[in-house]
Amino acid sequence: MTVSRRRFPGAGVTLASTGMTGAATQRASSVTRQTHTQISPSALPPIELIALNRMAYGPRPGDVARVQQIGFTAYVDEQLNPNDADDTLCNQKIAEARLRIRYSAGMGYPAVDEMRPLRTIVENWGLAQLWTLSKHPAYQERIRPAEEVRMATLLRAVYSKWQLREVLVEFWHNHFNVDAYSESRISATWPLYDRDVIRRHCLGNFRNMLRDVAKSIAMAFYLDNAFSRDGPANENYARELFELHTLGQENYLNHLYNRWRDVPGALAGNPIGYIDQDVYEAARAFTGWTIAHGQTVSGSNRLPDTGEFTYVDFWHDNAQKRVLAFEIDPNQPHLSDGETVIRLVSEHPGTARHLCRKLCRRLLADDPPASLVNDLASVWLANKDAPDQIARTVRALLLSDEFANTFGRKVKRPYEVVVSFLRATNADVTPNSDLFWQLQEMGYRMFNWGPPTGHPEESAAWLSTNGMLRRWNIINYLQSAWLKAATFDLPGQTPTGLTSRQIVEFWITRLLAVSPSPATINRLVDLMRQNGSAGAPPTGSAEEIADRIKSVVTLIAMTPEFQLR
Amino acid sequence: MTISRRNFIVGCSAAIAAMTGGAVRGLAFTQPGDTTRRDILVVVFLRGGCDGLNLVAPVNDPFYRGARGELRVEESGQNAGLSFGNQIQGADFRLHPRATLLLSLYINRSLAIVHACGLKNGTRSHFEAMDYMEGGIPESGVPANGWLARYLNGINASGYLPAVAAGTRVPFSMTGFNGAAALTDPSAFNLSWNSWRYRDQLNQALDSFYTGDSPVQQAGRTTLTTIARINERLPRDAQGRVIPYKPENGVSYPSGRGASLGNALRTVASLIKMDVGLLAATVDYGGWDTHEGQSWIFPELVAGLSEALYAFYNDLWRYHDRLTVVVMSEFGRRLKANRSGGTDHGHGNVMLVLGEGIRGGKMYGVWPGLATEQLDNGVDLAITTDYRAVLAEILVKRGGYQAIDQVFPGFRGSPLGLAYSPGETIERPNRVNLPLVTR
Repeated sequence: MTVSRRRFPGAGVTLASTGMTGAATQRASSVTRQTHTQISPSALPPIELIALNRMAYGPRPGDVARVQQIGFTAYVDEQLNPNDADDTLCNQKIAEARLRIRYSAGMGYPAVDEMRPLRTIVENWGLAQLWTLSKHPAYQERIRPAEEVRMATLLRAVYSKWQLREVLVEFWHNHFNVDAYSESRISATWPLYDRDVIRRHCLGNFRNMLRDVAKSIAMAFYLDNAFSRDGPANENYARELFELHTLGQENYLNHLYNRWRDVPGALAGNPIGYIDQDVYEAARAFTGWTIAHGQTVSGSNRLPDTGEFTYVDFWHDNAQKRVLAFEIDPNQPHLSDGETVIRLVSEHPGTARHLCRKLCRRLLADDPPASLVNDLASVWLANKDAPDQIARTVRALLLSDEFANTFGRKVKRPYEVVVSFLRATNADVTPNSDLFWQLQEMGYRMFNWGPPTGHPEESAAWLSTNGMLRRWNIINYLQSAWLKAATFDLPGQTPTGLTSRQIVEFWITRLLAVSPSPATINRLVDLMRQNGSAGAPPTGSAEEIADRIKSVVTLIAMTPEFQLR
Repeated sequence: MTISRRNFIVGCSAAIAAMTGGAVRGLAFTQPGDTTRRDILVVVFLRGGCDGLNLVAPVNDPFYRGARGELRVEESGQNAGLSFGNQIQGADFRLHPRATLLLSLYINRSLAIVHACGLKNGTRSHFEAMDYMEGGIPESGVPANGWLARYLNGINASGYLPAVAAGTRVPFSMTGFNGAAALTDPSAFNLSWNSWRYRDQLNQALDSFYTGDSPVQQAGRTTLTTIARINERLPRDAQGRVIPYKPENGVSYPSGRGASLGNALRTVASLIKMDVGLLAATVDYGGWDTHEGQSWIFPELVAGLSEALYAFYNDLWRYHDRLTVVVMSEFGRRLKANRSGGTDHGHGNVMLVLGEGIRGGKMYGVWPGLATEQLDNGVDLAITTDYRAVLAEILVKRGGYQAIDQVFPGFRGSPLGLAYSPGETIERPNRVNLPLVTR
């Protein structure tokens, strides 16, 4: 099966109007066109810039020199071992952050309008405190923890020294996507999912991560397993467990085989993929896995209302099951059926390939070479029991030839556009809800993506007319008087005494990994110099010069070059 | 076919003109010499798998009653479905009680219902089913472009703004058509520069950055063209301010759960009235994956669908003779409800088709029955009509496009007879004041 995910939306792309890859092939040749104009090896940026644009959200001033100084491999190893204590600037920004909360009075609660610290983050709130919030009568209080995680996430992306972790946290949040705003119980306890599941395991062991996801409040309510019970089971979680979390759509073989024993390898206990029968059986294995929220088990027997993960044997389908050709006997100990399924899917070679390909597609290119994916899958499988399985796999990816020898194969998602601009310009970030609303209009809904797929990975998905216009406009909005999500001092950062051309070059170096064309540079120089000479400092009033510097920086961030990483 | 340079050069100059206030209105964009009469095709996709067995419910079927428990539309009582005439044989079908305005459209002979149709491939995966369906294929080997894109390419749609996705991005069905634009609000589709002093220079510089062949550059070029075209056509007052869009016929688009659909359809309606040469539009309406909580979510979704389609159709009353709306979803849902108040992924489903060129007020398809041996895999409504049969008939009769094999490769099927062919006398239903059915 060749499910080509290389899609090119109708944003006027060359792939447009080709024929079918499989059937009518009269125009199929252009399908093989590269996603982006290939950058010739001589145009490759230095490894520091490749690294800072792909395993970080772009360089902040000073970052390039630091990576040069310690060396790329040392930087990778440093990034794979994040240390929260060593993150002063970021910790300070989170501690100082204030996010407005405002709502009118309602039944039994007063009106609130205050600039409030990110309490659930700074004070490290636990389940008991957060679960109580899920019952708060004011909606703004119920979603407040999710709002605080969003703000902290943006601040970390901009300021944290541990950039690779932040990049992977975004990856895993999308991989194990949950719409935090779909349910009060999820939004109120969102810091737990972020901290104790995603962040805890983002460089750790995949099986452990998968288990903690399965037991999380967030996933249990989002994919309904909290409500699943024998007769018939709710299949929502089990289906996405296979299709999205582990083996992936490429290993869903339902169109080829109707019976489990027909799947190649099944009779030897190693089926190459899964079919609906596996989904049905896995759904049965997870019946009774729930979150205690005061629900009635039978008669007057109720679960406590605590938000704790709970197994209810009364709701479990305890008959025998067969998942991925593995026989599960009837009447196993509590939780055993589900744990067995988690082991089976997490250790399947198809899962290794699916996850490694996905990591490559995040960090490298939309269409990574199969050889690299297979190499990484071997590392993944060899370390299936290692506590740092993911870190080892990511390390192999970052130190691969492919990582060092490619650039510009990914279109930045809106969030990356915003964060990389804030980093390059050394902005003082004061995130607010309006900024997240802007991101939403760009198609990026942090922790609020409805379908369980997470945000699209393929570059083409981010090149719609709406997406392009808004990625240009957001650069202006960020510097506007009304958004107030950041403040900038671009003229103040521009060294004094530079010529117009040097000012342009200074900011190109800050913002771009690859130099733009001479024509682009000349346009920028023309804007900077106006009637003066390119080789002399700009003339005009201080206000005019400041306006030009801001305009030049804005334009650089609106070039095609800034959109790629 | 590669990118038409002509379009982009034209777009380029217009982009500059529009941004710098030049007066080239109506000059640069003549419609190509296409004299074929084609409907504007609006495709509404219900994301998540709409429960067709509850939207158009076989209320008296004993298997349906037995398998659905509380999650069903009933023959009488509080949850009684809406009766309608001209049904296919096999059951007493009723519209969901919250679909009163769909019933109005049906009674008005504007709306046709097709049951037990869908994607014949047995996948129960949302994403695979959507890929196949939007790719316009029966199974596997997903093409590089969607079925609507191939239709638009096939008719050489090169008008002013021929294809729009009302949303933040272009769905797969329209992916691969050069000129497809995604937008949420035409009146705000413009560049927002901070600097007024250098605004013209900024416009020109940005325009010069996006002239190359890379996907990003071409995306930028299409965007600049779209900005120019929309801003040229936006209705403005004497002071040049954009006049806010006001629906006709006193229509109001729904709020609540149907707001997303209503807003998107409102955008499509406003573009149609700007005469931008729209030939196809896509609209997504999500939230139909009702594994849980179906008894309260589903009625709201149906009400939203019903209200939004009714508002859209009445708002566009002057365009009824060239408007066809199709409503589809990736699959239906399991006949038997699960134990957690919902239904899991199923198979056969309902499609709706709306328009003056549609033989509405009539139900189409063949009912396969719901006894276990009649079900797909013993659990789901079987499919007796390939979804492509519905779409193909619309493209042929309402889109004026005959080369169906280019859009749906390998598809062989006969039309259901739900659309009027060009030249056929249409039994014209009322265009305004559609009967309002209330319970």
